[in-house]
Amino acid sequence: MGRIIEEIYVWRLPVRLYHWINALCTVVLLVTGMYIAAPVINPPLGEAVWYKGMAWWRYLHFATAFIFIANFLFRMYWALFGNDRYARFGGFRPWSPAWWGKPFREQVESYLFLRRDEPNYVGHNPVAALAHFLFIFCGSSFMILSGLAMYGENNPGGFSETFFGWLIPLFGGSYSLHFAHHLMAWIFPLYLIIHLYAVFRHDVVDRTSVTSSIVTGYKHKVEEEPS
Amino acid sequence: MQSNQTFADIFRASGISRRDFLKFCSLTSVYLGLAPSMVPKIVEAMETKPRTPVIWLHGLECTCCSESFIRSSHPTIEDIIFNMISLDYDDVLSAAAGHQLEDVRKKIMQEYKGKYILAVEGNASTRDDGVYCMVGGDSFLNTLKETAADAAAIIAWGACASYGCVQNADPNPTGAAPVSEIVRNKPIVNVPGCPPISEVMTGVVAHFHTFGTLPELDRMGRPKAFYNTRIHDKCYRRAFYDAGMFVRSFDDEATRKGWCLYKMGCKGPTTYNSCSKIQWNGGVSFPIGSGHPCIGCSEPNFWDKGSFYERLAEVSFLGTDSNADRIGVIAVGAAAAGAAAHAAVTAVKKAKAGKDSEEKA
Repeated sequence: MGRIIEEIYVWRLPVRLYHWINALCTVVLLVTGMYIAAPVINPPLGEAVWYKGMAWWRYLHFATAFIFIANFLFRMYWALFGNDRYARFGGFRPWSPAWWGKPFREQVESYLFLRRDEPNYVGHNPVAALAHFLFIFCGSSFMILSGLAMYGENNPGGFSETFFGWLIPLFGGSYSLHFAHHLMAWIFPLYLIIHLYAVFRHDVVDRTSVTSSIVTGYKHKVEEEPS
Repeated sequence: MQSNQTFADIFRASGISRRDFLKFCSLTSVYLGLAPSMVPKIVEAMETKPRTPVIWLHGLECTCCSESFIRSSHPTIEDIIFNMISLDYDDVLSAAAGHQLEDVRKKIMQEYKGKYILAVEGNASTRDDGVYCMVGGDSFLNTLKETAADAAAIIAWGACASYGCVQNADPNPTGAAPVSEIVRNKPIVNVPGCPPISEVMTGVVAHFHTFGTLPELDRMGRPKAFYNTRIHDKCYRRAFYDAGMFVRSFDDEATRKGWCLYKMGCKGPTTYNSCSKIQWNGGVSFPIGSGHPCIGCSEPNFWDKGSFYERLAEVSFLGTDSNADRIGVIAVGAAAAGAAAHAAVTAVKKAKAGKDSEEKA
């Protein structure tokens, strides 16, 4: 192992808090959501009023969902007004052909083993930024909107139904929206695998302490190993 | 029979007492979900307004809506309304037939231009000029367009007229299309269900007659009074759902105890209808009450949404037969395999790179 030659403070506390709250919420939402779709625990004997077998799972799902939404909105605020160079949207311009140019191409080539050297970024590399946009921004937005539309179903005329209920006819009925919500939930375990693999691999290949950086906030530059 | 009789005239002529007439008005207000203060308005409308002429057309359908409409165990309400609305044309129920009947339709369309209600049961075939549904020597597509042109409003009875039902289920060989896709410039009330509940049907007509306006509609054009909430939200088995007490097969103890049918594929949680409130056949029961999961017959395209007996079942997804969980597991498995393969290649490359540098040194 080479000597650490530089410490860079990359992930500020709000970003790290967001990350872990988001991670925890996602796991809870996935588990409770899958349970709601297919409740497996056998029914207890006795009176229905004694138990909350399904109600607690749903309550946990909805309560966690609201924390997830608040956390997501906070992250959007931080990206736009946080003045944080590694957490802002600033550099992400997928509508501009320039963004898809050399840096993006080089990163893709590196992942496909088409080049020997690994491009090194302190923040997110362009491929990671795109993945975050698709999975975390688009995925979460869809889950939040469709979730609120379904949450509004039990209170017609209420806030959620009034502002998000339009998604139900858009998807051709409540059942189709439930199906879409259930299907899209799978992008989160999918993303988790890709995310963890990419983090571990970068840490092994680049040795920038990217794994521990989401706890400590610091990434490291390491001296090249003497050869 | 004079043509501008009011409801009250007909009641009186039929020997129904004023007391029974007021009872009927009160009950109608209850079914419409109106406050007691609205009862005098209903009474006034019934006494002073001439009956609303109704033309009832039948397209591609099974007549279950008519069956629901006429068949009820409480004759007081359903039969009175059925007898009292001025049902001037109905090719199933009319005594007249052939040209005689078609002339009545033309006459009503002229005499009550812009005032009659067009009730449509079933939908129209749109492929090959609508040749797959011919009624009275013309395609139902033409008849529907022609009759809709001068109607005050259209009531789309049942899942067929509202959404298409089994006729336009995949692959829809006759191009069957719901009324809303054929007539676009008229107010349409969707009264979905296969069939809709009879009190819901009569309630919609009574609302128009009483207030001269259509009932308040939701985003999918359904009367809010009857389709505002899901069956699930008013289901008497909801307590078992919240408790997590589910029927797991049709012959288990839970079935006998009447627990929740959610795991048997009940579509109550995603179906908007009044079954769990008004119930069927004059309040005798409804499917869940009889131990069968709701099949969601008042929801769009319910035939194409997989098995009636599974939740989020084998829903056709982008032309495959996979369900959400199978697609999810395959995608996650592929990602894991991809990551493992990528890691292996990385390791090999790294080892090779290490060897190269060793050799150099």
